[in-house]
Amino acid sequence: MDKDQFLQAFAEQFDETDLSVFTPSTKFKELDEWSSMVALMIIAMVDENYNKKITGADLREAVTIEDLFNRVHAK
Amino acid sequence: MTLNSSFRLDGKHILVTGASSGIGLSICRAIIDAGGRVTGTARRQQQLSEMVRASGEGKASSIQADLADDTGIKKIASEVEEVDGVVYAAGVSKLTPLKFVKRQDLTEVMNINYFAMVLLLSQLLKNKKIKKNNDSSIVLISSVAQQIGTKSSLIYTGSKGAMSSAARVIANELAPQRIRVNTIEPGMVRTDMTAEMENILSTETIEKDRLKYPLGYGAPEDVANGAIFLLSDASRWMTGRSLTMDGGRYSLLD
Repeated sequence: MDKDQFLQAFAEQFDETDLSVFTPSTKFKELDEWSSMVALMIIAMVDENYNKKITGADLREAVTIEDLFNRVHAK
Repeated sequence: MTLNSSFRLDGKHILVTGASSGIGLSICRAIIDAGGRVTGTARRQQQLSEMVRASGEGKASSIQADLADDTGIKKIASEVEEVDGVVYAAGVSKLTPLKFVKRQDLTEVMNINYFAMVLLLSQLLKNKKIKKNNDSSIVLISSVAQQIGTKSSLIYTGSKGAMSSAARVIANELAPQRIRVNTIEPGMVRTDMTAEMENILSTETIEKDRLKYPLGYGAPEDVANGAIFLLSDASRWMTGRSLTMDGGRYSLLD
C-alpha cells in the first residue's frame, strides 16, 4: 500500500478543499469540507481501491490522514 | 382490552417475509397478539424456529427460504397454505455515494427489496394462495426514504421507490378480487439493519439525526401496529396507499 497514492485518493474525495492542504499530518476532521457525506466517500474509496472495510469508528479514532492510512494498512 | 373487532386478525393467516428479525419479527408477534396465525419466512432457520416456538402452539410456522433466487420464491409459494394477507418485510440496505455505485450492489439490493417482492406476489397469485373476495391484504414495508432524497442512500431509496410505485399497480390489478395492497413508509427504526448503518456513520451523526425526529426514532413495534391496521378489516376501504410513520420527521417543521 502506497502512502502517497492513499493521500491522493483521500484528497480526491473533496471538491472544495485545495489539494495543497492535504499532507499526511492533516487533521482531516478539522477541514471545513469534512461531513458525513465525505466520510461515506472515504469509506467507499477504501472499499473500492483497497478492498478493505473501514467504519465510522476508524474515522472517529484517526486524527490525521496518516493515522487512517495506518488503520487501513493494518486491516 | 375490548377492541372493535375490525382491528383484530382472528382467523386470519398471514405470510411474513423477513420474519427472523427487526420489523418482520415484530410484525409476526403483533399478528399473534391480534389473534392471527403466521407463516414466517427468512434465510436463518434458527431465528425462525425461535419465532415459531415463542408464538405458542399452532400459532406460527416457518418456511426457510432465500428470496434472492427463484428456488426460494417457488418454495414459499408452493409450501405456504392459503393466506389472508402477506407482509413483505424482507429488505437490505446499502449506503454508497453515487460516484461509487456498482452494478453488483444495485443488483443485490434491488433483487431483495424489489424483484423478489414482485416475483413472490406473482407466484403466490399463480398458485392461488391469496384468498379472493375475502378482504385479503398485502402490506409492503417500504421507506419514507422514497419520499425524500437522503445523501448516499440511492441504492436503497431507488429500490423502495420501485416498491411503492409497484404497490399502486398491483393494488389496481387485485382490487376486483378484493385483495388490498398498501405500503408502510417508516422513518428511522432501531433494528439490526440500522445498527449496521450506525456503525458506518458514527454515533454522533445518528444522534444528530435522531434529534430531528419530533417523536424520536421508532421501534419495530410501532411499524407492526401500522401493519396490523393494514392487515385487518379496519382498513378495508384503503388500497394503493401508503402509511407514513416517521415520528413527524418530514412533515413537521420548526
